[in-house]
Amino acid sequence: MNMRSRIVSILLTLLLPLSVLGQDEQVLAPVTRTYAITNVNIVQAPGRKIDMGTIIIKDGLIRAVGKGIAIPADAIVVKADSMYAYAGFIDGLTRAGVNKPKEENRDRVKDPGNPTPERAGITPWNDVRFSLNPSDKGLEEIRNLGFTTAQVVPYGNLFPGQAAVILSGGKGADDMVLIGKSSLYSELTGANNVYPATLLGVMAKWRELYRQAAISKSYEAMYASNRSGLERPVSDRNLEALYPVVDQRMPVIFKSERLLDVNHVLTLKKDLGFSAVLADVKDAWPIINTIKASGAKTFLSIDLPEEVKKDEKKDKKDEGLNAAAKAENEGLEKRKAEAVQQYAAQAAAFQKAGVVFGFSTMSAKTKDIPANLRRMIAAGLTEDAALAALTTNPAQLLGLSDRLGTIDNGKMANLVISDKSYFNEKAKVRYVFVDGVMFKMDVKETKKGDPNAKVDIEGTWSTVTETQQGRADGKLTFKKDGSNYSGKISGGRLPSPIDLTDVSLDGNVLTFKYSMTFGSNTIAVSGEVTVDGDSFKGTVSFGQNRTAPIEGTKDPKN
Amino acid sequence: MKIMKNITILIAAICISASGFGQVEKGTVLIKNGTVLTVTKGTLANTDVLIKDGKISQIGKSIALPQGAKEIDATGLFVMPGIIDAHSHIALDQINEGTNAITPEVFTGDALNPFQMSIYRALAGGCSMSHALHGSANSIGGQSQTIKHRWGTYDAEALKMEGAPRTIKFALGENPTGHGRRDGVQPQTRMGVEFVIRKAFSEAREYDAKWEAYNKAKAVKGFRGAPPTYSLRLQTLVDILKGNIILHCHSYRADEIQMLLKVTRDFGIKRVVFQHTNEGFKVAPEIAAAGAMASVFADWWQYKLEVYWSTPYNAAILVRNGVVTSINSDSPDLIRHLYHEAGKTQKYGGLSDDETLSLITINPARQLGVEARVGSIETGKDGDIAIFKNHPLSIYGVPQYTIVDGIVRFDREKDAADMRIMVDPRQTVDATLYETGHAHDFCMQDTAGLFESMENENK
Repeated sequence: MNMRSRIVSILLTLLLPLSVLGQDEQVLAPVTRTYAITNVNIVQAPGRKIDMGTIIIKDGLIRAVGKGIAIPADAIVVKADSMYAYAGFIDGLTRAGVNKPKEENRDRVKDPGNPTPERAGITPWNDVRFSLNPSDKGLEEIRNLGFTTAQVVPYGNLFPGQAAVILSGGKGADDMVLIGKSSLYSELTGANNVYPATLLGVMAKWRELYRQAAISKSYEAMYASNRSGLERPVSDRNLEALYPVVDQRMPVIFKSERLLDVNHVLTLKKDLGFSAVLADVKDAWPIINTIKASGAKTFLSIDLPEEVKKDEKKDKKDEGLNAAAKAENEGLEKRKAEAVQQYAAQAAAFQKAGVVFGFSTMSAKTKDIPANLRRMIAAGLTEDAALAALTTNPAQLLGLSDRLGTIDNGKMANLVISDKSYFNEKAKVRYVFVDGVMFKMDVKETKKGDPNAKVDIEGTWSTVTETQQGRADGKLTFKKDGSNYSGKISGGRLPSPIDLTDVSLDGNVLTFKYSMTFGSNTIAVSGEVTVDGDSFKGTVSFGQNRTAPIEGTKDPKN
Repeated sequence: MKIMKNITILIAAICISASGFGQVEKGTVLIKNGTVLTVTKGTLANTDVLIKDGKISQIGKSIALPQGAKEIDATGLFVMPGIIDAHSHIALDQINEGTNAITPEVFTGDALNPFQMSIYRALAGGCSMSHALHGSANSIGGQSQTIKHRWGTYDAEALKMEGAPRTIKFALGENPTGHGRRDGVQPQTRMGVEFVIRKAFSEAREYDAKWEAYNKAKAVKGFRGAPPTYSLRLQTLVDILKGNIILHCHSYRADEIQMLLKVTRDFGIKRVVFQHTNEGFKVAPEIAAAGAMASVFADWWQYKLEVYWSTPYNAAILVRNGVVTSINSDSPDLIRHLYHEAGKTQKYGGLSDDETLSLITINPARQLGVEARVGSIETGKDGDIAIFKNHPLSIYGVPQYTIVDGIVRFDREKDAADMRIMVDPRQTVDATLYETGHAHDFCMQDTAGLFESMENENK
């Protein structure tokens, strides 16, 4: 019995089932893989909607979508009353879920003009699947926003390696992979102080490697057809990794944030004729037609510059200026505001030009993503087009339309369910399904409670916690010491009572924390409940992202 | 609602303005009644110049305005060919790939930035074209791009002068030897520079022979055999040996100029232009005899020991010895007043007006191999024109319009305070604050990081 399974068996005997301890563990499978999501507004695809219908999920697939659908007996029913269900979002380019190499590639080289290919950033044979981490925080962050699928790439500069399309959750690295070797990744940035150190060298090296690969590939073909009397082709893993690109079987995806980056990619594409994907594009609205004509697939960055706020410090500094300088400053600020607006309007411009584009989150701050989408919509992008850019378009661009992008019978059960329309400012994601596995979101309802309520929590409460593994009973005891409270949790399968920390009562909102230690594992638990007389209701959170509803009733005083 | 409307207009404007990759915009304009300084065909008083679809189509009196064309009244103004700078680094995001002594495979045309303000500022000095040169950090630097100052384009490709010959930058003396001393590789001395250049060309000859043999064998039906290893580096050197690339060489001292003349003679390279050429006056007959050309500063020197021996008579001496000579800027500042720089040469060297104007028009055009297209006002040539108030060689000369391919790219009357094309919302720009630092040599840009170890050693 290894350490992990020993911890698991200990936990099983305790009050709380393991599954709430964070999905990294992923030890217990749910009791059923059948779900029925009921009474939900189903946005099957952009412009295709079913009001208050049911979605049946079984074994990772969508099995039925519509109204008046019978709920299978073994289904976990998710009462998504009046919520909105969408196909899981697809991220065109990110490094979420990818381990960052510990050491930066910057060793001093004896002759900087002739570094090893690795030191120069040339490792096209590398595969991101060697560096996947299912419990990566960034992956969890994008999943919490509804991204169930992402094209991920390795770290590096010129040719970091091959991309993969992964699910934003899974039991292990291999389990997450939808498409391995989905594309070759390239950034047109130089190596640190060795050749090629600049864009100039990078472009030249790109051309040279590509042409060498084409020549060596065709010689290998000649050799394979009849080896007699021919020199053995020298194996070169860098060139071999480029063969599928030369054959147009594998596209090259570039991080091409700025308009000029796009220009450089299109120059290479024009010179060499491979299939290119532009990703994380931020300011290419002036050259949409050029992009369109090139046939390069496009993922726009979901990142936006901050909106211009009035800078009072600067205003104060400006007070001493003469009228001309003031006017000039105003002009500069105006252009800055216009530029910010143009960034927000980029997606709308691409929509208008009829380009099928997706989004990429690579350089975006995760927490800004929903607001950025709303800014794009305010700048002219239609909600349908925004949804298409998150679902159907990237599915098409990545060749996944048969499996992903819409809520239809037979597709993979990748879903995002929000309590309001996703693009509503107040919308919160409540459930995300990845490959039929449910992730329930910790929604911190701002239960203000009633600050003037008079409640007495002293005494013992009988609690019931509902988890996926069923019901767990326990006892909570609170005691008042002056103006502070203390407390204990006990009962159920907990071997001994645990002291609560940070117990506080604000009006009728009671919060408390405690931690459980099992071997080297410590799990922080926090609870927030609203007290109404002799009962309370609320949630407890375990670790980073697992929550369970808790209810309690006060035991009568003996 | 208003914002929405503005955005719609904006998007519509974007869709219209976007043009195809590398497509060049051309215009029609009639310049009326100016004093036309043709440079090659004398000065014509009260003369009209018609540019039609980007080309000079007519020079004469009372030319009728084509329908819908723009007219510029040049009465009392001086009309000259657009100024050409044979040595500049403007419009480039990156200038040096200085990590290796030999990098002919790199190309500044890959790093063009059409949004750099320096392009517009050059236009404001009547300069319609420049040679976007690789830097001088290595003995054989990169291929360079002749650009037109088509300010307003979003397409870096559209800056490239279509059909201009390929050029490349070489460098002699202390800049490239710094690289060698830093890394403990060749070249560390002037002798080393000659050696690495000769070695590179010798290897290129061998490379060419291998490929020629392979291609010849391959032409025979049923051929089976391994191809030589492809090298973009050696292939580019082969292209120089075959005369397909004009060699521009950073040089100061007479001895290194003589050295390169010998090397290029030995390898049969005919098209050579010396850049800077501060001691060109010492070897002007030799340069002329070799058919090489020289692009020089008017009076910029002594910024390091190897440019100690210099003179403002340099350009005039070279011209009098029959060397095709130009005055260059190598600076985003000097490029704005090359007409002054040329004027200095006239003051010291006593050149005629046409000879002096040649230094910044037809001569740099010859050095870039584009003299059939630009550099003078002649029918059939590109519609690249600078219009001055007062004579351009007068200290009172002020550029009013700069026209590129018949499109007015600079108009003094319409010179708004903020001419930026792309605005970076994350960038802070302070009002009326501009860089006052003295113009500096951009030849060694992007190489600072490379010299860290050297500086540390010297401490």
